[in-house]
Amino acid sequence: MSIVIQLRDISKKIRDETILKNINLSISKGEFISIIGPSGSGKSSLLYILGLLDIPSSGEVYVEGEKIEFTESSKIAHFRNLKFGFVFQFHYLIAEFSLLENVMVPMVKAGISREDAKEKAALLLQKLGLGGKEKRKPFQISGGEQQRVAIARALANDPILIIADEPTGNLDSKNTAIVMDIFCKLHMEGKTVIMVTHEIELTERTERIVKMLDGKIIEDLELSKKKC
Amino acid sequence: MNHIFFVTLKLLFERKRQTIVAIIGVSIGVGAFIAMASLMNGFQKYFIEQALDLNAHVTLKIKDEPDKERILRKVYGEGVSFSIFGAKPKELKDKIIDYKFLIKKFEKDPNIIGIAPHLTGQGIVRYGTVDKSATLVGIDPTLERRASVIDKFISNKKLDVLISDRDSIIIGKLLARDLGIDEMGKKVIITTPNGITHLFKVVDFFDSGITMLDQTRIYMNLKTLQTIFNKPNEVNEIIFRVKNVYQANEIAEKIKNETGYYTESWQKAFRNFLQLFKIQNYITYMIVFAILIVSAFGIFNIIMMTVLEKKRDIAILKALGYENKDIIRIFVFHGVTIGFLGALFGCLLGYGIQEFLASVNVSVEGLVRTKGFALDRDPLYFIYGVLFAFVFSTFAAFYPSYKASKLNPIDIFRSSA
Ligand SMILES: Nc1ncnc2c1ncn2[C@@H]1O[C@H](COP(=O)(O)OP(=O)(O)O)[C@@H](O)[C@H]1O
Ligand SMILES: [Mg+2]
Repeated sequence: MSIVIQLRDISKKIRDETILKNINLSISKGEFISIIGPSGSGKSSLLYILGLLDIPSSGEVYVEGEKIEFTESSKIAHFRNLKFGFVFQFHYLIAEFSLLENVMVPMVKAGISREDAKEKAALLLQKLGLGGKEKRKPFQISGGEQQRVAIARALANDPILIIADEPTGNLDSKNTAIVMDIFCKLHMEGKTVIMVTHEIELTERTERIVKMLDGKIIEDLELSKKKC
Repeated sequence: MNHIFFVTLKLLFERKRQTIVAIIGVSIGVGAFIAMASLMNGFQKYFIEQALDLNAHVTLKIKDEPDKERILRKVYGEGVSFSIFGAKPKELKDKIIDYKFLIKKFEKDPNIIGIAPHLTGQGIVRYGTVDKSATLVGIDPTLERRASVIDKFISNKKLDVLISDRDSIIIGKLLARDLGIDEMGKKVIITTPNGITHLFKVVDFFDSGITMLDQTRIYMNLKTLQTIFNKPNEVNEIIFRVKNVYQANEIAEKIKNETGYYTESWQKAFRNFLQLFKIQNYITYMIVFAILIVSAFGIFNIIMMTVLEKKRDIAILKALGYENKDIIRIFVFHGVTIGFLGALFGCLLGYGIQEFLASVNVSVEGLVRTKGFALDRDPLYFIYGVLFAFVFSTFAAFYPSYKASKLNPIDIFRSSA
């Protein structure tokens, strides 16, 4: 399996505190990974570096085999736009934009024409069970639906990696199940997903569990392949 | 750029209230600029136009400047101020007798359109029991109308009567009013300083709009005045009308050098007013500038507020691959759009104010008399207004936009977690 992203000996210091220590992590295409660990263990910090939102203090990041130069901010933004899809605990939808327009935001940046973007965004919303609500504003739908729109937006440019930081952290169990089903479905379609969670039962649906503590990976557990 | 338009226009449209407030701010600035500029410059241009019409572009005349003063000026330049005590009055050359020759000489100059001789002097005009002092101006109507636009100010266009009837005069409208003359054909008596009285018939009125002139001036045939003053073939002023009024200074200088007489360009004659206008312009532009600054602050505020309110959105835009320069462009474009729409409505507002001012019928009697406002409706003011709005809104938007681009998305994600 080809490697989508690789971290080599990554450390991150903020002032004199080291929040990530010598992280090595390889993510192969199609993997469904969960990261677990206590609050403050560095899970989010790790995702920010994986998603090229943050710059490590030392170490190297390879995306599809290419070493990332952190000075090339324009190229990094380009990568974020095309290669990664972010989902956060909060949906971060733009309040003034309709659901459709929120999903279009990364597409128009990628240079897709507005008409094509509209069509594609509508399809994605449809796929995530939001058909018919395209014109609504984020405040006009439920929290679970908002998170699904955020997932649709993450999928906008067909990324190589979906990065989710506690995507169900704000959801009730019913909506949590819906979101997990979506990730599973994406995984089955061959997408690569990495998800931070602190609900242990959610990790059971993934194929690989990375455990973190105090900025270090303390366990990297490969589970048998299964239909999640 | 598609994505910039997409995000910006959406934000602008959905945040209507802020957008409209900012646009109104800019509109008022631009509208005020256009209105004030056209009002101020309109007045000034009107004044200068009238002045240029009435006062020769270049005047050649006798100047009673004592030799000592002239010498001091020659040595120390124009800028010095001095007082001379105990200088004896000198017999001055107070006549121009070679005027016919001078006219012939300069008639050929391609830069000069018309030349006319004047003999001026003071007199007392009496109508019934009312006496008023007046400036008597003896003119040659044929030459005069080539050297000035006198016809324009003669109410009933009877300038030529001065040729056929040597005892006719044209008198200033305000002077006529002060004397109590309200129709043509009235007889008045003019007494000159040398004690001669003469009966004249008022054949027309002179209405320039410049209060000072309309209150004092009386035109008559040059020959008549020469006779009354006992100054045959003599004048004390020659006026020149030039092709390009802004060359008046050089032409005046040239005439002075070639004739040895004192000459004065209209700029010099009106330097006090021109100076005053300059100050007036400074004040006007300072006020307008202040208005524009205020509206620029409006834009600055709105964009700063938007940026602060939209921190999360900026963070997510960056996470979704928008670059710093995209963020800057989005918010600068935000400002520029406000500036553009503000400029557009400002132009409409300015035009509206102009229309309103043009329709107002006020009678002003001061330095000049006008019916309504003299407006200068130069399209240039609209262009300037639009340009200012653009420049100001771009500058006002730039700092908040730059700030926005420097936001670190991680800080936002962490702080809202
Ligand atoms: N800006 C910061 N300044 C100082 N410490 C920080 C900053 N951001 C994060 N940290 C610290 O880094 C550690 C890891 O944080 P984070 O990655 O958010 O953990 P997790 O997502 O696992 O809860 C925490 O101890 C946190 O206090
Ligand atoms: Mg976290």
